[in-house]
Amino acid sequence: MIAAIVAYAFRWSIIPSAIGELGHGVKVTLILSGISTVLSLALGLVVALCRMSGLRLLRYGAYVYIQVFRALSLYIYVLWIYFGIAAGIGVNFSPLTAGVIALTVLNSAYMAEIYRSALDAVDPGQREAALSLGFGRRHRFFTIVFPQGFRVAFPSLVNQLVDIVKDSSIIAIIGTTDLMGVTNQLVSYYRAPFELYTLVGFFYLTIVLVISGAAALVERRLNRHVH
Amino acid sequence: MPLAYQINWTPVLDHKHAFLVGAWINVWITLISFFLACVLGIAIALLRNSGLRLLSWPAFAYVQLVRGVPLLVFLYWVYFGVAIVSGVAFTSSQAAIIALTVTGSAYTAEIFRAAITSVDRGHVEAATALGFTRRASFRHVVLPQAFRIALPPLGNILIGLLKGSTLISIIGVADMLYVAQQINLDYFTPFEPFTAVAVILIVLVAIFSLILTGIERFLRLP
Repeated sequence: MIAAIVAYAFRWSIIPSAIGELGHGVKVTLILSGISTVLSLALGLVVALCRMSGLRLLRYGAYVYIQVFRALSLYIYVLWIYFGIAAGIGVNFSPLTAGVIALTVLNSAYMAEIYRSALDAVDPGQREAALSLGFGRRHRFFTIVFPQGFRVAFPSLVNQLVDIVKDSSIIAIIGTTDLMGVTNQLVSYYRAPFELYTLVGFFYLTIVLVISGAAALVERRLNRHVH
Repeated sequence: MPLAYQINWTPVLDHKHAFLVGAWINVWITLISFFLACVLGIAIALLRNSGLRLLSWPAFAYVQLVRGVPLLVFLYWVYFGVAIVSGVAFTSSQAAIIALTVTGSAYTAEIFRAAITSVDRGHVEAATALGFTRRASFRHVVLPQAFRIALPPLGNILIGLLKGSTLISIIGVADMLYVAQQINLDYFTPFEPFTAVAVILIVLVAIFSLILTGIERFLRLP
């Protein structure tokens, strides 16, 4: 019985050639998460502003948006958009497009909440000061309130970016050649799941650590006036 | 030009029992993983707070490492990778529980660490003055208070795990998404089953949040 269990022979020798292949996957993962981050940063701000607006219709609309889109998991969005919506309205999304839509919809809801609490945290005195100095509405928001709110929101927004990078691995299921997709192809080619999944784990870890490291530097610069 | 899509809920309604069974699998796998992640998280938090560099450093590395790796990678890694190396063939639900527990534990560890640190030092000193041993003061004074502080963020982790558990159909657990995919394959109706799963998940998240709010209110100090 014990003889039947063949000792597993590690094949770490495939790693160098696998790293070359994974380089392409890193590019797709970064593009996918980069586009989704930019879109959800913008959409999240719009939703947050609607959520804080004086118009009840906008406020409730944004509230529903946030509650509904936060309640679901990315995988359901991906399947729903790529298969469900595509069949329902007869549009064929590419896997990449479906992935960007899913990531944007989900994360913009989270980012809206982050923006809202950060903008709330800006001292009302700042707004009043801008008002008394004769700043216009738009000027007041973009030169006084938003920069201060953004500084407060920055660490949470970076956490969200890290989540986007990690979650983007799920898009591979519908057939993108991102980091995870390339790894799955390599696993069926080399038949070395342990080595390759460990490797891709370290790839994701590296990306995440680089992002957090860079974010720490930016954060220090953003906080240079604050004592 | 594709043919106009006919919305047809009959396949979904015919299989509503399968959806409920699938949803139940999501729920119990989530609950088991959450419980294990809490136990593991307390252990890691204690190691990090131990003051011994030999213990706190590996715990810190564990948290950083696990938080940097996607759940999907863990699922594949446990189910295909670890299985082939160790020769232990996990069932897909076991692999799912392991992956969810490991991912969850890194987050619960940070939550418990913050909660334990934020318990008033005076309470520990009072317990010591009353003759509590170190273990007794942790067990009866620190932990209950830390748990109350940790409860709201822990609830977020629980809901995060519930959402994460929708991934487990990828390694073959027959959860609600698996049922939806089968219906899609059998009837070529992708829209309705995935919508049904979305609705079930929203309802489950709402129920979980209600229960958590109830527990928080019950534990709140007067």
